[in-house]
Amino acid sequence: MLDIKNLHAGVDDKEILKGLNLYIKPGEMHAVMGRNGSGKSTLSNIITGKDGYNISKGDIIYENKSIIDLSPEERALAGIFMSFQYPVVMPGVNNTYFLKAALNAKLKNSGKKELDAAEFLKIVKKKLIELDMDTSYLKRSVNEGFSGGEKKRNEILQMITLEPKLVIMDETDSGLDIDALKIIATGINKYRSSGRSFLVITHYQRLLKYIEPDVVHVLIDGKFVRSGGKDLALELEEKGYRWLES
Amino acid sequence: MIPSYLQSEFKKIISREYFSEKAHPIRKKAYNDLMKKGLPNKKLEDWRFTDLSTLNKSNFRISEIQDGTKKNIDITNYGLESFYTIVIYNGHFLKKLSSIPQGIKLLSNLDYMENNDWNTTQPEKSSFDLLNTAFMDSGVSLIVKKETNIEIPLRILFICSGKEELMISPRIHIDLEASSSLNLVEQHVGNSDKYLFNGSFIINIAENAKLDHVRIQNNSQKTINIGNLHIQQKANSNYSFIQFAFGSKLSRINLYADLIGENANCALNGLTLSNNSQHLDAHIITNHHAPHCTSSQNFKSILKNKSSGVFNGRSIVQNGAEKTDSSQSNKNILLSKEATMNSIPQLEIYTDDVKCSHGSSTGALESDALFYIRSRGIDPISAISLLVGGFASEIFEKIKNSDIRKYVTQYFDRWIKNNSQ
Repeated sequence: MLDIKNLHAGVDDKEILKGLNLYIKPGEMHAVMGRNGSGKSTLSNIITGKDGYNISKGDIIYENKSIIDLSPEERALAGIFMSFQYPVVMPGVNNTYFLKAALNAKLKNSGKKELDAAEFLKIVKKKLIELDMDTSYLKRSVNEGFSGGEKKRNEILQMITLEPKLVIMDETDSGLDIDALKIIATGINKYRSSGRSFLVITHYQRLLKYIEPDVVHVLIDGKFVRSGGKDLALELEEKGYRWLES
Repeated sequence: MIPSYLQSEFKKIISREYFSEKAHPIRKKAYNDLMKKGLPNKKLEDWRFTDLSTLNKSNFRISEIQDGTKKNIDITNYGLESFYTIVIYNGHFLKKLSSIPQGIKLLSNLDYMENNDWNTTQPEKSSFDLLNTAFMDSGVSLIVKKETNIEIPLRILFICSGKEELMISPRIHIDLEASSSLNLVEQHVGNSDKYLFNGSFIINIAENAKLDHVRIQNNSQKTINIGNLHIQQKANSNYSFIQFAFGSKLSRINLYADLIGENANCALNGLTLSNNSQHLDAHIITNHHAPHCTSSQNFKSILKNKSSGVFNGRSIVQNGAEKTDSSQSNKNILLSKEATMNSIPQLEIYTDDVKCSHGSSTGALESDALFYIRSRGIDPISAISLLVGGFASEIFEKIKNSDIRKYVTQYFDRWIKNNSQ
């Protein structure tokens, strides 16, 4: 699904990722753990195609093709989705309208018929029930006045509506209380399938209690210093990052 | 100093038999004051961002009767067919094409002044007021009778047309008598090559009366449009104004709202779209003379190419106007690096115990927001139009009449589609 090879990347002259390798098979869930400044957000931004980063070496292969020259929307249409750490607030942009535009862009790209407002509403209402969200979400502006938990839930709503193949969750657990965390974890678990892979980027292991990763990577100073099973997260929680720093 | 064409045109206008001689002293006084004051230039604080030198390079003439007669004017081309409409074509009132609701008294401007024994106070706030008074057309004036509520909007449709360098100076008096209400739409359209519109609206809103005023300025990009609006509000009156400034190469509104009675409410809003080398300017002054009044100014601009804009808003709270609640907001989006916006929100407060706020922001669309939208598979042009549409929606939501909302949002959607590249 995703194969990152010896990736060196950064902003301006500053190298942030220093030879990162990551191989994710279809259906796998990988977790990346690391402290602030270790390069976690750079990794997720580079996979999704945000401007402002230079790739000096290496490649990102997604479904057997390099994606480093693709625009963010091309990557999204190819099935890559990121749940943002800080979802953007868009005053005046209706949440339903935004979500419908996104889904229709996907349908159009795959040569399918776009949905009208009524057809879309029928679909999205079902998704809301799955996430225990009420219909008032649909009338509001995108993320405007949303609490931290509501914003993250809105990201999950976008995810299950767009049905991506590779999901990157950038610090989805930050700023969430335990109830919100459980709801989101349930959403993710329900959504796991053999054809869908996850890359969960997190600071803490608490989300990993609810969603069990196949592989855990520890990111320190732009490189994975250790990779292992889910127990690595527990070990890390116990011993701290310093244990792996040299 | 005023351009020489104004001098020769003034001689022409006072020799017109169809304008009452009783207006001559008023015209002459305004003309003499204008001669002394001159047209504004960029050295004046209120005009420092707006270049009027084009007026000196032009050669405008007043509109003749033959300029106002044309066969086959189809006003359905301009939408809003279900409204009552007063048609002013190149400055001339076209009675045959116009329709007036019951409960409104329609007069020519000169009849209105005659009825008031020529004692009507003439606005003198700027040179354009003086220019309007010196050259005022017969125009139309409206009186909404006491306790009359006119539900269906009344539109004043200003059409400018032709290749002549015409100068139009409509004078519109609107009096809302106590407890009356009116929905007024002022629509500027036309395909003129060169044109100077300098209109003055003098609006009096009596106790408990309510005026909703929508101004849609959508002239061709070769014209100059100057709107002078003078609003006076008595106790418990309501005035709501929404301007959509889309057209003209140079436009300016000078809006002065005086709140002279208690508990009056004045809500002023605007949305400006400019591209190419358009320059669209809004000078907005709310002046609180009485206590317990509320006012708001909420103006937004979206600028593209080399276009430029000005928002100069001032909210004045006079001594004695306690418990005033006044807010000002100006937000602008620049869709190109060459576009410029000058935003000057100001407060002048001469009393305690008031609630006033103001704010201003100008910038490009946020790259984080664009990335967020694109990361959902939406192309950059659609992403821009989503964000800009969201930015403007606040103003559209203030339009109460659904026909007007549809008309302006359709125009907006077309504009965004053509300007999101």
